[in-house]
Amino acid sequence: MATARRIGSRHDPIVIGVDTGGTFTDVAAVIDGELRIHKLLSTPHDPAAAVLQGVRALIGDRSAHTLTYSSTVATNALLERRGARVALFTNAGFEDLIEIGRQNRSDIYALAPARPEPLVERAMRFGVAERTLFDGQIALELSPAQRQRIARLAASSKAHSFAVCLLHSYANPRGERAIAAILERTKRPVSVSHRLLPEYREFERLSTTVVNAYVAPLMVEHLHRLERELPTRRLRIMQSDGNAIGVELARAEPVRTILSGPAAGVIGAASLARVFGVDRFITFDMGGTSTDVSLFDRRANLRSLSYPAGYAVRTPVIDIHTVGAGGGSIARIDEGGSLKVGPQSAGADPGPACYGRGQQPAVTDADLVAGRLMAANFLGGRMRLFADRAERAIGRLARAMRCGVDEAARGVLRVVNANMARAVRLITVERGFDPRHFALLAFGGAGPMHACELAAELGIGHVILPRDPGMACAYGALNAALGREYSLTVMRAAPSFAELGRLIGPLMKRAHAEMAAQGFSREQIESESWVDMRYRGQSFELKLPLTRNFLADFHRAHERAFGYAAPHAAVEVVNVRLQARAREYGHRPRPIRRAAGKPQAAARISAIADGRRRTIPVYQRDQLGAGLRLRGPLLILELSATAYVAPDFSLRVDDFGNIHLEARA
Amino acid sequence: MKLDPVTLEVMNNRLAAIAEEMGVVLGQTGYSPNIKERRDYSCALFDGAGEMAAQAAHLPVHLGSTPLSVRAAIQRLKLGPGDVAAVNDPFAGGTHLPDVTMVAPVFIAGHRAPLGFVANRAHHADIGGMAPGSMALSSEIYQEGFRLPPVKLVAAGEPVRDVFELFFANTRVREEREGDLRAQIGALTVGRRRMLDLARTLGEPLVRAAMQDLKDYSARLMRAALSRLRPGTYRAQDFLDDDGFGNGPIPIRVAIRIRGGRAVVDFTGSAPQVRGPVNANYAITLSAVFYVMKCLGAAAVPPNEGLMRAVEVIAPAASVVNANEPAAVAGGNVETSQRLVDVLFKAMAQAAPDRIPAASSGSMSNLTVGGYDGFRHRSFSYYETIAGGAGAASGCPGASGIHTHMTNTLNTPIEALEAYYPMRVTEYRIRRGSGGKGKFDGGDGLVRELQCLVESNVSVLSERRVLAPYGLHGGGAGRPGANYVVSNGRRGRIPGKTSARLKAGDRIRIETPGGGAWGRK
Repeated sequence: MATARRIGSRHDPIVIGVDTGGTFTDVAAVIDGELRIHKLLSTPHDPAAAVLQGVRALIGDRSAHTLTYSSTVATNALLERRGARVALFTNAGFEDLIEIGRQNRSDIYALAPARPEPLVERAMRFGVAERTLFDGQIALELSPAQRQRIARLAASSKAHSFAVCLLHSYANPRGERAIAAILERTKRPVSVSHRLLPEYREFERLSTTVVNAYVAPLMVEHLHRLERELPTRRLRIMQSDGNAIGVELARAEPVRTILSGPAAGVIGAASLARVFGVDRFITFDMGGTSTDVSLFDRRANLRSLSYPAGYAVRTPVIDIHTVGAGGGSIARIDEGGSLKVGPQSAGADPGPACYGRGQQPAVTDADLVAGRLMAANFLGGRMRLFADRAERAIGRLARAMRCGVDEAARGVLRVVNANMARAVRLITVERGFDPRHFALLAFGGAGPMHACELAAELGIGHVILPRDPGMACAYGALNAALGREYSLTVMRAAPSFAELGRLIGPLMKRAHAEMAAQGFSREQIESESWVDMRYRGQSFELKLPLTRNFLADFHRAHERAFGYAAPHAAVEVVNVRLQARAREYGHRPRPIRRAAGKPQAAARISAIADGRRRTIPVYQRDQLGAGLRLRGPLLILELSATAYVAPDFSLRVDDFGNIHLEARA
Repeated sequence: MKLDPVTLEVMNNRLAAIAEEMGVVLGQTGYSPNIKERRDYSCALFDGAGEMAAQAAHLPVHLGSTPLSVRAAIQRLKLGPGDVAAVNDPFAGGTHLPDVTMVAPVFIAGHRAPLGFVANRAHHADIGGMAPGSMALSSEIYQEGFRLPPVKLVAAGEPVRDVFELFFANTRVREEREGDLRAQIGALTVGRRRMLDLARTLGEPLVRAAMQDLKDYSARLMRAALSRLRPGTYRAQDFLDDDGFGNGPIPIRVAIRIRGGRAVVDFTGSAPQVRGPVNANYAITLSAVFYVMKCLGAAAVPPNEGLMRAVEVIAPAASVVNANEPAAVAGGNVETSQRLVDVLFKAMAQAAPDRIPAASSGSMSNLTVGGYDGFRHRSFSYYETIAGGAGAASGCPGASGIHTHMTNTLNTPIEALEAYYPMRVTEYRIRRGSGGKGKFDGGDGLVRELQCLVESNVSVLSERRVLAPYGLHGGGAGRPGANYVVSNGRRGRIPGKTSARLKAGDRIRIETPGGGAWGRK
C-alpha cells in the first residue's frame, strides 16, 4: 500500500503480528528492520500465556509500537460451547425465534433433522411489551412498569451477558436503546442488535446479536489481560473481513472476530503476493482433515452471512470455503462402484496407514505410493512413514477397483483433487470469476503436494509456493491495515453520480475522525466507495465499486451473474458504502542469495508422473537460490511440507525465495 | 462409454453444482417474497432424452414430479435452440397450478439433438382463480387458477409476448409475476451456459456418458439399499382429516413388497378422488415414493431418475393418489404428499424399525392472504407454509418448528412481511407441549398469528387438525393443529380447510401439529 511506510531502518519501532492456532502460536515481529519469527505451542486453556511468552521470546524487555493479534477466543468459545450464560430481551410473543430460525433443515434427506442447541435457554428469554413498525413508528411504547421489570430481571437472572433484539430496530432503535440503558447499569456486557447490524431480517440480526453476547465476556477478559500485560503501545485485533480493529470495537463487538485466524491467513498471503506483483489469486490451504480455499481479486472477497458452528452470523467475513478433504481423508469404493475420498478422516490418530497404526487407505498413503512424499523426510525427518503399509492399504483398494496399485493411488489423488476443485469452482465460477485468470497460492502441510495437479484440473497456469508458508497468518496480522466499513441505506431510484458523492461525504468525515483517534493523518487513509444495487422489486443487491458508469456496470454484472439484464427496468441504489483503511508500517521482505548454478539433487525417488513410473530428483528448498529455473517432475523438501512439481510445469525462484511453477504450453 | 469410478464422482459434483447455481440465481433475482425470502423452488438437469440426471437439494416434493413436466414439454413441443417452455397443468405434466415449471433445451451449436435440458420449478404466490394465492377451498381445477399446458414462453431467444400477456391477464400482482418469470428464465440461461462450458472443456461425449452412468450408479446404490432390507410385504394406512366439504376421514393405503433389491409400492385400496382440493396426481405420489426411497438409500445416492428404476409405483386411477381431470388438486402437492410420506414410513417401520422416525406434523399448514392494499395502492397476495414438529427417532427427540419431509421452504422474515404486505405478525412461537410424549419426545409445532390491516381474503389448507400424527413403538401421538380467527377480541375456531373474509384488525391464528414420539416412556 502506497501510504504505508516500509520498515527498513533500525530506528523504526517494533511491529508484531500474532496468530493463535489450535496447535501452534506464531509470532512474527519486525525488530530493527529485520523480520523475526517464533513458533511455540499454544496454551488453549489460557491463550494469552503463549502470546505473552512468544512476544517476550522475540523482543525481550523492549516494547512494541503496534501488535496485531488474530484471536481464536471467540471462535473456540462458540465451537466448544464454552460461552457465557446469556439473557435475551426481545418482543413478547417472539421469544422462540432464536430456536425456530428460518424453519428449514440443513439436510433435506436426514431421517431425523437436527439443529444446534440455541445459545440462550428458554428460561433466559424475556419478552417485553414493545412494538416498533417497519416505518419506524412505535405502536407500543415501553411502559415504566416494563422498564422496572427489565431492571428486576437483569438483576435476578444470573446472566453474565445480555442480548437485546426488537423487531424493526433498524428503522427506529428507541426501544432497544431504552432496554440497553437499563441493562448497562449492571456493568455486564450488553449486545444490542441495531448497533451490531442495522439491517432488516430479524432472525439473522438476532442470531448475530446472541452470538456476540455469548462470546463477549470471555473476549472482554482476554483483551483486558492482553492490554495489561503486552508490551505494546497499540493493540489491534484481526476481524473476519481481514482488517484490524481497535480493542474498544473488538470488546464491544467480538462477533466481528469470529473468523479472525483464517482471515489473517488470506491477508498474509496477500501481503506476500504483493511483493511479487500478483494481485489475483486463490489461496489453497490443505491440511490433514480439511482444505480452505478463498478468492483474492485485488481484494479479499467477502460474504455477508456465514454459519460458524451452525449459528447464523451476519457480519462480513472473508469468503473462505472449507471442504472435508485433506491428507487424512479416507478412500473407499462404495456399493455403487464409485471411488469416494473423505469426508471421513483418519485424523492424526490412527492417521493414514503409513503412520503405522491404522489400516485404512488415506490420501497421504496415495501420495506416498505415487512418490509425492519421501518416507524418510516427513516433518523434516522427525516422523517416520511406513511405505509398505501405505502400499498394502492402497493395494486393498486396488483390488476392489480391479486395477493396479499405481492406478488406484492415482485415482485417489484425482478424486481428492476433484473435491478441492469443486470448492474452488464454488468461490470462482459460481461467483462469476474464471479461475484461469488467477494464480494458485499453496499453503498447509499438503497444499504444495497437490497444487500442480489441482491447478491443471482448473486450467490454472501459475502456482506459487510462498516462503515460510506456515507463518502466513502471523505475517498477515503484522501487515494488516486498520480498517472499517461505513454504510448508509439510501434507497434511491437511479441517482446521479454526483448525488451519491454527496451522500458519501458524511461517511468520509466519520472515517477521518475515527482514524484520527487511532493516530492516523488524513494522507495515510485509503478509501474506496461502493454501491449496492438491484432492480426495483428484488431483495438481493449486487455490490459494485462506485464509478461514473455505475448503472451500466450494474446491468453488465447482472447479466453475467444472473443470466439477464433489464436495461429499461428501474435500478435502485440501496446502500452506499465507504471502506477506509490505514496503516503505519508494512514489512518488505529482503531478497535471498542468488543461485550459483544448478543445485545438486539431494535424492532421487520413484514416482508416478504423467501416468507412468519414473525416477525424479528431490531438492532441499533452502538450496534453491534466487533466479534458479528447473523443469518438473521433481520434489522439493522443506520443514513443514513437500512440494511436487508436475512434468508439465517449470519452476522459477524469485528474488525473495518464493517458488513459481508455471504450466508449459 | 463407461466412465471409471473417478470420473463418475467428478461428474456427479459438476452436474449437481450447476443445479445449485441455478437455484442461487433464482433466489437472488426473484421478486415475490415467496421466491426471494422463502426459496420455494427447485432446479435440475436432464439428459438428451429428458431423464433427470442431477438435482439440487431444494424441495423434495419437486423431486419426482419435475421429470414428468419436462417430458410433457418435450413431447408436446418441438424445443429448439433458444426456446423456453412453461407448464403448470396438473393434467398435462404439472402438480398444482401455482408451481410453474420452465424447461430449456441445451444445444451445442450445429448439433441437431440437444445435449440435455435445464429446468426449474417455482411456486408463484398467485396464479389466478377463485381466491388470492390460488390455494383456496376449491372443488374443481377450473377454480384453482390459470392452466398452462406446455407452451413456449420464449421462442428462439425471443419472448412470446402474447403468452406473457395471457398469463398476466389471468393472474394477480402482475409486476411480481413478471419479475419471477424473468428470474426463472435467467436461471435457465445460467444453467445452459454452464452445461455448454462443461461440454466445451470435457467434450460432449463425456458429458452425455456421465448423465447415463450417473443414473446407472444411483440405480445400483438403490438396489443395494433395498437388498439390505428384510424381504416381505409391509402394509400401512393413514388418513387425511377431510376434503374441506365434510367428506372424511380419507384413507390412504399402501402395500410395499420388497424382494431381491426391488420394491413394488402399491396404493390399491386408497380412497377414490374427492370433491375438495386434496387430490394428488400421479406426479406427487411418485415424488413421495422417490423421497422415501432416497431417505432409505445411502445418503450419497445422487438424486436422479436411476434411483427409481428398482421401484414400481401402482396408483389406481381416479383415486386420491392419482386424480383425474377435473379434480381439485391445490392441496395434493402440499398436504396429501405429506400423508403419503407418513403412510410409506409407517409401512417401512416394519422393515427397518430402528431407522424410521415417528410421524412429523404431516401438514404444511398453508396460509394465503390477499386483497387490495390501500396503503400501498396495489393488490397483494401472500403465501406461507408454517412448520410443525418433527417426529422423534430412536435415540433422538424430534426438532421443534421445523419443516419436514416434502418441503423445506424458509419463513418470510417478519420485517420483510410487514414492510411488503398490509399485515402485522402478532405472535410467532413454539407451541409448547404439542409434541408426543415417549422415550423420545416428538418436536413441538408452532403458533403463528397475523393481523390483517385491510379487509382481506384468507385461505387455509391444513391437515392433522383432527387426526394426530402417529407415534411409533409405544410413543405418544403429536397434538393435532388448530386454526382460529380472532375478531373483536373473540377467538373462534375455524376448520382445517377454509376460505374466509377478514375485516381490518382481525387476526388469523395457526397452531401447527406436533410430531409423534418414539418408544414407550
